[in-house]
Amino acid sequence: MSIFNQLREIMATALELPENAINENSTMEDIEEWDSLGHVHIMVALEQQFDLYMDVDDFAELNSVPAILKYLEAQRAT
Amino acid sequence: MKVSDKQFDELLAAATAQEIKNSLASYKLVPSLSQAKKLRQHLEESAHRKLRLGILHTYTSELLDPWLHLCASLNSLDIELYHAPYGVTVQEADAGSGLAKFAPDITLMLLQREDLQAAHHHKAGDGLENEAHIQRSLSGLLHRLRDTIGGHTVVTLLPTFSAPELGLYDAMAEHSDAFWWSKVKYSVAKTLRNEHNGTSFLDFDQLITQIGRDNFFDQRLWYSSAFPFTSDGAFAVANAVTTFAASLMLTKAKVIVLDADNTLWGGVIGEDGMRGIALGPDYPGNVYLDFQRRILSLQQRGFILALCSKNNPDDVNEVFEHHPHQLLKHEHFAAERVNWLPKPDNLRAIAEELNLGLDSLIFVDDSDYECTAVRHSLPEVDVIQVPSRAPLIPQCLDFVARLEIVTLTSEDLDKTAMYAQERQRKSQYEQLTQTGGSIEDYLRSLNMTMTVGLDEGSNIARLAQLTQKTNQFNLTTRRYTEADMSEKLAQARFRVYHFSLADNFGDSGIVGLAIVDVESATAARLDTFLMSCRVIGRMAEQAFLYAITVNLRAAGVTELTADYIPTRKNVLVEAFLPDNGFVQTSDGRYRLDLASGSDTPEAGFPLQIQGSFLP
Repeated sequence: MSIFNQLREIMATALELPENAINENSTMEDIEEWDSLGHVHIMVALEQQFDLYMDVDDFAELNSVPAILKYLEAQRAT
Repeated sequence: MKVSDKQFDELLAAATAQEIKNSLASYKLVPSLSQAKKLRQHLEESAHRKLRLGILHTYTSELLDPWLHLCASLNSLDIELYHAPYGVTVQEADAGSGLAKFAPDITLMLLQREDLQAAHHHKAGDGLENEAHIQRSLSGLLHRLRDTIGGHTVVTLLPTFSAPELGLYDAMAEHSDAFWWSKVKYSVAKTLRNEHNGTSFLDFDQLITQIGRDNFFDQRLWYSSAFPFTSDGAFAVANAVTTFAASLMLTKAKVIVLDADNTLWGGVIGEDGMRGIALGPDYPGNVYLDFQRRILSLQQRGFILALCSKNNPDDVNEVFEHHPHQLLKHEHFAAERVNWLPKPDNLRAIAEELNLGLDSLIFVDDSDYECTAVRHSLPEVDVIQVPSRAPLIPQCLDFVARLEIVTLTSEDLDKTAMYAQERQRKSQYEQLTQTGGSIEDYLRSLNMTMTVGLDEGSNIARLAQLTQKTNQFNLTTRRYTEADMSEKLAQARFRVYHFSLADNFGDSGIVGLAIVDVESATAARLDTFLMSCRVIGRMAEQAFLYAITVNLRAAGVTELTADYIPTRKNVLVEAFLPDNGFVQTSDGRYRLDLASGSDTPEAGFPLQIQGSFLP
């Protein structure tokens, strides 16, 4: 599964949305359910899925699908 | 630990929600959020009891939701959640509040120590001023809450994230953090126990001890989102809360039916012999020794034990009577079936002997074959399969909701002694009837004295428990929580009667309850009339009804209305009302005329009746 597809599955679970509500350009502003609590759910789920321990200072910047994808690519590279 | 894909498939293949719960606990597994969701969907249909959980919180609680949903389904509960607005606690006690409208079965209070104004100074005195503070702030909150919100209230306090201020020296300090914190929790529990019925304290430190402070708290989420828990921590909290809820909502188990071979000891006594079975100080015998200790403590907190083993009785007796490390003895078991009959037949016989329904039984056995047989032919019986890996055995009864207790009454503690007394009565009865005596002679020979009380609030836990547990001798089977009982006692129109029965062999403790709703100056309604099966067949019910009618008549009541609400289990009392002078009227209800009816003379009972309110 591509990273985007994994991310979409995680976000759909965390936000209790159908997967098609999330696309490659979704941002926190576009999706009503993606509020501050939903955001924490996504971050926790990302950590579980990709075996990460994230820096809380990164949380705020990861406010869109492109930003998260970029972050995950960078984590992979290291 | 994470759940691997292979482990996850195994979880989905498990027979029951309880087994999934046990596997997660045994292997220290915490599912990921997406696994949690899949498990929840998988278990959707096994959730047969609704739980409305209201949450009052002074830190973020909404992030617990996926875990609460998962753990509710692991406990066969269908959960609905309400979170009060953040930090709002006192306001939620108002009659029009969101919480009041939600009408929760259970209100969970997630508080911080600051909310109770508990402060700690290393130089402070003995901390008694803290106790008064805690008592005042907690009672202030709970009094208002308990007035408007029904159901049960569970109080929790968030433990500290940090190591003690005095570091490694703390344990040596006279005013150590550890000592202070135990006193805070002690004060909270004491306040709840003594002043607020229908409340409980749930200690998060137990969870921290289990999984470790570092695994429980997430500093990042705490400082950024005011949410204190890691996923492991959130799962542990949700598991404890829902297990506790299930223990309140589900019918309590009464009997633990135990297999012998590979359950009480390792190996098969009929093949391995006294020297061959594993039971003693060395592995794996120490596992079984610990499991027996665990079972003994369950017996001491009120569960009845029964033995159900496919064996030659002599072999099992040999272990029970002569094995130096066998802890459980015959006296601990209220019923025993050691034979070669199918276990479902034996379970039926055990239920019959103990005068209990099959759904009061929990069956504990290591064998796939026996567990499947019982699940298949007796679906009412809960089955717990003893783990095949020995070190996991001693904890296999932990966190089983129907074995958790929310109150401990003195009757619970004396239960097995009472069953022993019952056996003595039985042998006296047999002796008397063999020599031509009648039942009446037998009852008189017991020298029974019934003590009837008109309750003023000192037995709420036991009375509520009786409404929860009594199925057979129960006219209306109305279930009341402790909170419901307090509410009834607070109203003058309700009269709550109870009785205990003493005889040559012992005292039963409180075994009967009647709630009378005095609807007007002359008319009353029998809301509840029940009696523990322990005293069935001793004419206590007639004497109890007699005492009640004497009291009501003295109060000017001329008519007592009563209902018989049939259930699957209370056919025993189908004829109780007509047999005792009640007349069924066209609306199907029963009426007893107290004005013209005459008192049955007390001498008509084979027992003496005492009661401060009786003439």
